[in-house]
Amino acid sequence: QQTQTRDDDWSRLLVQVGTHRDRAAFERLFHHYAPLIKGFHYSRSVQAFSAEAADELVQEVMFRVWRKATSFDPARASANTWIYTIMRNCRIDMLRRNSRRQDADGCDVEVDDIWDESPESQPLVVLQHKRSQRDIAEGLRGLPPEQSHVLEKAYMEGKSHSEIAEELGLPLGTVKSRVRLALKKLETILSKRGAP
Amino acid sequence: MIRHHPDSNMLLEYASGSLPWAMSLAVSAHLQLCPHCRRASEQLNEIGGGLLEDSAPQATSGAALAQLMERIDQEPQQGEPQHADSPAGEGAPVSRRNTRDDRDPALARLPQVIRKLLGGNRPLKWRRVSPALKMSRLHTGQDQYEVAFHRISRGGKVAEHDHRGREVTLVLYGSFSDADGVYSPGDFLLREPGEVHRPIATQDQECLCLSVVEAPVSVTGPLGWLVNPLLSFRPA
Ligand SMILES: [Zn+2]
Ligand SMILES: [Zn+2]
Repeated sequence: QQTQTRDDDWSRLLVQVGTHRDRAAFERLFHHYAPLIKGFHYSRSVQAFSAEAADELVQEVMFRVWRKATSFDPARASANTWIYTIMRNCRIDMLRRNSRRQDADGCDVEVDDIWDESPESQPLVVLQHKRSQRDIAEGLRGLPPEQSHVLEKAYMEGKSHSEIAEELGLPLGTVKSRVRLALKKLETILSKRGAP
Repeated sequence: MIRHHPDSNMLLEYASGSLPWAMSLAVSAHLQLCPHCRRASEQLNEIGGGLLEDSAPQATSGAALAQLMERIDQEPQQGEPQHADSPAGEGAPVSRRNTRDDRDPALARLPQVIRKLLGGNRPLKWRRVSPALKMSRLHTGQDQYEVAFHRISRGGKVAEHDHRGREVTLVLYGSFSDADGVYSPGDFLLREPGEVHRPIATQDQECLCLSVVEAPVSVTGPLGWLVNPLLSFRPA
């Protein structure tokens, strides 16, 4: 309940940044999200990035949060999810920039075109009962460790299924089925909790 | 109606950002056509949001916020500026115009991401692969996958063939069939290397597909694909 209020609170602050360019609201968002963004990529358990690269990513993500806040719609996504998508695109951008070869430039398609969350490019999706982010975090914590482990490797370390399989010394099929089991489990948890 | 979708593993790789660029392009185009997968991908984003919320906070440097505010102050005023190189509104730049492509009915209603891709590849150069099949390779800024439009003429039969790498096909216009079924706009098919098939376009109209094929490891240089055709046709 405490967390629930907080969750809505971040969305409200984001709306304020979007509509009034409210700097005080933005600073509060920064103090909350910057350490989480960094921890997502660089912490004791996750070292997808070096500390320096994680700091650079934080700067870029929060800069985009400021710029894009005008398009944040609390009815479509929670603040956490919205910031997650910005962070993911930003990370793809960064990795792509570092590995890009001269001759690969000159293509018009950008990261935000492919990982495009804007409502204009999407078919209309009937909104389900909006789940609170707290339910999702709780659902994730309720997964068997081997299932949450593969999800964390996929999202936080940015690894593909085959990279995870190789790293854990598991057959690819095992990783795939752990992911599917985790999704199935989350879906039941979420739909149960989503009901009024 | 769309009957063939990317599986949940591929959608998760897309949502977590590890799916290769060219494959993501095809998934993205499918999402722009398929409400079912769009909803699934929003759920997968929510998992990302949940993991973000739950991650172990790490202190950033004390000057981080001040640096950021300084950068924001240097930003020209007004909400969200557009990218300098992509004009507002429709994704496709209009500079490289080509009236033949503009009149092409198969290209008239494409998902936004494909329009953007098309914009950078105009004018399309079609190459005849066989009497019924034409292809146009698309530059996507990467070289691990070959991305191309394939079009099969009305009722045309493509020779039986296999592929050397994983292949994704997304139907964009018209429909085709093979031994496994009929595929219509929006359908997303994944074939593993070695699978053999023989596509046939339906009689009423030609068929346009986007295909993404994993390039063989031997392709290295930017022009490697010129000497390394991916399709291996069997003698009829
Ligand atoms: Zn679908
Ligand atoms: Zn084929």
